[in-house]
Amino acid sequence: MYVSPLREPLIKGAKDYSQVTKDILAPMAGKPSKYWYMGITLSGAAALFGAWATFMTVYYGIGTWGLNKTIGWAWDITNFVWWVGIGHAGTFISAILLLFRQKWRTSINRSAEAMTLMAIACAGFFPLIHMGRLLLGFFILPYPNTRALWVNFNSPLLWDVFAITTYLLVSLVFWYIGLIPDLGTVRDKATGKIRKAIYGFLSFGWTGSARHCSRHETISLILAGLAAPLVLSVHTIVSFDFATSVIPGWHTTIFPPYFVSGAVFSGFAMVLTLLIVARKALNLEDYITVGHIENMNKVIIITGSIVGIAYITEFFMAWYSGVEYEQYAFINRATGPYAWAYWIMMTCNVITPQLFWFKKIRTNLVATFIISIFVNIGMWFERFVIVVTSLHRDYLPSSWSMYKPSMVEVGLYVGTLGVFFTLFLLFIRAFPVIAIAEVKSVLKSSGDNKKDVHHE
Amino acid sequence: MNKYITAYYNDEEDLLKGLKQIKSKGVEVADVLSPFPVHGLDKALGMKRSRLTRVAFTGGAIGAMIGFGFQAWVFTQAYPLNFGGKPFLAVPSFIPVTFEMAVLFAAFSMVFAFLIHNKLGPGAAAVIHDERITDDRFLLVVKVADDENTHTIEEVLNEAGAHGITLKKKN
Amino acid sequence: MENLTFTLKKKTVTIFLIMIAVGVLSLAFGFFGGIEGKRVAANLLLNIYYFLSMGLIGLFFVTVHTIAESGWQTSVQRVGEAMSMFIPVGGILLVLFFVLGGLHSIYPWTHSDHLDAILLKKVAYLNEPFFYIRLVVFLGVWVLLAYYVRKTSLALDVKGDLKYFSKMRTLSAIFIVTYAITSVVSSWDWLMSLDPHWFSTLYGWYVFSSMLASGFAMLILILYLLKRMGYMQHVNDEHMHDLGKYLFGFSIFWAYLWFSQYMLIWYANIPEETVYFYVRHKYFSDVFYINLILNFVVPFLLLMTRKSKRIFGMLVPVSIIVIIGHWFDLYMMIMPGAVGGEASGFGIVEIGLTIGFLGLFGLITFRALTKAPLAPKNHPYFKESLDYHTHY
Repeated sequence: MYVSPLREPLIKGAKDYSQVTKDILAPMAGKPSKYWYMGITLSGAAALFGAWATFMTVYYGIGTWGLNKTIGWAWDITNFVWWVGIGHAGTFISAILLLFRQKWRTSINRSAEAMTLMAIACAGFFPLIHMGRLLLGFFILPYPNTRALWVNFNSPLLWDVFAITTYLLVSLVFWYIGLIPDLGTVRDKATGKIRKAIYGFLSFGWTGSARHCSRHETISLILAGLAAPLVLSVHTIVSFDFATSVIPGWHTTIFPPYFVSGAVFSGFAMVLTLLIVARKALNLEDYITVGHIENMNKVIIITGSIVGIAYITEFFMAWYSGVEYEQYAFINRATGPYAWAYWIMMTCNVITPQLFWFKKIRTNLVATFIISIFVNIGMWFERFVIVVTSLHRDYLPSSWSMYKPSMVEVGLYVGTLGVFFTLFLLFIRAFPVIAIAEVKSVLKSSGDNKKDVHHE
Repeated sequence: MNKYITAYYNDEEDLLKGLKQIKSKGVEVADVLSPFPVHGLDKALGMKRSRLTRVAFTGGAIGAMIGFGFQAWVFTQAYPLNFGGKPFLAVPSFIPVTFEMAVLFAAFSMVFAFLIHNKLGPGAAAVIHDERITDDRFLLVVKVADDENTHTIEEVLNEAGAHGITLKKKN
Repeated sequence: MENLTFTLKKKTVTIFLIMIAVGVLSLAFGFFGGIEGKRVAANLLLNIYYFLSMGLIGLFFVTVHTIAESGWQTSVQRVGEAMSMFIPVGGILLVLFFVLGGLHSIYPWTHSDHLDAILLKKVAYLNEPFFYIRLVVFLGVWVLLAYYVRKTSLALDVKGDLKYFSKMRTLSAIFIVTYAITSVVSSWDWLMSLDPHWFSTLYGWYVFSSMLASGFAMLILILYLLKRMGYMQHVNDEHMHDLGKYLFGFSIFWAYLWFSQYMLIWYANIPEETVYFYVRHKYFSDVFYINLILNFVVPFLLLMTRKSKRIFGMLVPVSIIVIIGHWFDLYMMIMPGAVGGEASGFGIVEIGLTIGFLGLFGLITFRALTKAPLAPKNHPYFKESLDYHTHY
């Protein structure tokens, strides 16, 4: 297919197929660098902190948290929504960008999707731990039991169970199906006997047969077609947790699309945070180019602006509705005791991403890295603002209250961050971080040495 | 005993060109192994469009029916409970789970169909003709009948610019 | 290369003129045939808004693909541009409609002498001077941007200078940003304030999704007509497939937003909000379900397969159904508030006026198509669009 010479190449440096294989497999070979060890020590320590906090919660109960009877939800659900949101970027990149035929996705989809899986795992931990007894988590599944009672299918929290489970399973399958050809490559390039056997087992007997390839493409496409509405549904259902209620600040119809947009926004920020470091550390700058970063920044502007419009819409509608409670909820957000959180959210989500309108900033790696961190922070605070400020001053002024997290809650949050980064560090050693076969398939049309030829 | 000949190309464009030439000489190419899906190959090999879409649709439809039917059964037959004054058959409430079940069933039925149909799976044995087919080589496989003259085929392949023509036997 | 100059046949013009005449006659019938004035006014609003939105979606089509740097759409870009040429006409009609009594006829908040307690709270926003200021700003911005986008696009074609290409991108970005805000606020002004007590934060995006689906259906329809007349032969199955995917996807997206809004209001069950659907269930229960069937069930089931998105035999009927369906969607948004359950109906006025506006829209669009070559030959991505084939 003809590609206009105006388009920037997606893969830098004149590379042939075997060079691509070599470059992408390089981080998996040999001993890990000392930075890798430093990273895994740090994230492992964070995970241990989380393990301590989990132990405290299970042993002593939810009383170790900073919750009270007015504010029954706080960091737990904030972290849950934050992590689920981060997961959305992976599916967005691998499914929605596939449907929109964005070739630049090939360099980032693998790692973004791995990140999705890790983020959902971290997210799922919070509802489970909030039940107080991790081992009784299966209570949320509909199974025949002696009480003859089924789960409440009318509850959005139960919808979450289905949404998150489906999302985790389908993402896992989607990711793994995409990984199969590359695992074949790893198997064939492996030198050790054990390594060959393991990757031989994992590669599902892939030979690259034309029949397999063709069906593999079909199945990837349909999985993308399924994952696209799925990813929308997941954060939609997460937003239903709030929006189906009658709490001012929670019940508003814009929540579903606005949550989805916010999720993609925060997810892209996390992808950027990780990949800006990873491309440098793993020598993949030819594959994840500044052009890729710029494209992701464009997605950040769009989704960030949608989120901004949603904030303003909510604020305006609170006034327009004429409902006093609704109006108070929003004025309290902006000027009440948690105003600092609100303005952190506004600054990080609405204002700083707008800097990406300047090409100089969106192609600058340092600036992008800093803004991506800002977005991560801002989106965490968005959920905190929604959850805590709406709850802490409810209809009954005598039960107004304030919330302060306990060390155990901090531990749980830091712990999931630790688990997330540990898993990511293990991932880059165990699997190719870039989809080798997919990069090869766009190399001719979008590589640096692309030929200006017309072929069928 | 089956005999077959393998030969490879280093570039997918040469492969497609060579394939056309080989086909025009009346040699049947059984399969092509490549490091990534080559577009136009399915047409060149005369493959049909995959019917996986139908599996996905059927799976999705079944999932949706199970999802909706189960919820309806629970709240109208098995254990009707009043939640917030909603009707027992609260259709809007059942949509999210129905949708998730549809997607779950569609995805998994399709993936299993794909794996089973292609005989892929954990630990499935792969016949590795050349370790570079997952790297940068595009390999042709031509099946040869026992009584067929392999020389003519090899010549055709050679003329079509294929490298590394080798005759192999499979037990 | 094929013939890129589009000439409008006399016969086609005549058909459009007859359609417009039907519209004018039914308007006259509405005024003098004993139909309630509110109902006529509501129908005028419905059709002006509907076709104005189609024009905007035409512009949206061009601009969104320009900033996304996509290449395939360049061969159908002119259709989007031509649709956008309806924006000034629709804008003038809308202003005339409001000025000539439409505003007072159907918007309850304009009766400033007897406003209830709730409406009094909203006077800072819902008052006539501010309403007109917003109206002029929205329409002014749209008309200006439509004009400049078209002008730049034509200049790019004639001169082939990449300077115009980057200007096109700047203009597109400006349009997308302004449209993101104006489309939402204008839907509050012109549609949501017909039920001035009621509010929904999702409303603006819901209306946008509705217009998106119907606008793309219209684009497919125009493309089909052009192809039938023997033009646009460079548009192949792949382009149709992509447009079909859009129609399919946007129909699902519309259903998603419909469900989100409906379910949340149904679930929370707050009287201030449920009143909206209460009226619609009570007096418009047929339309309520017709809306869902035509706009979601039909396109979802019929456009699911790959083949159906590639053949006009399926794409065109579905497009027509979707256009009719979203007309009913607008009907559901407008009539209960503007006319009320009892006085609303479906008859000569509804059908005739719609035919009239369709004729007007067709005439303007097709005339705009004659003004420029049907394909932007010098667009830097045009060659990509010609050589367009995908495996999915």
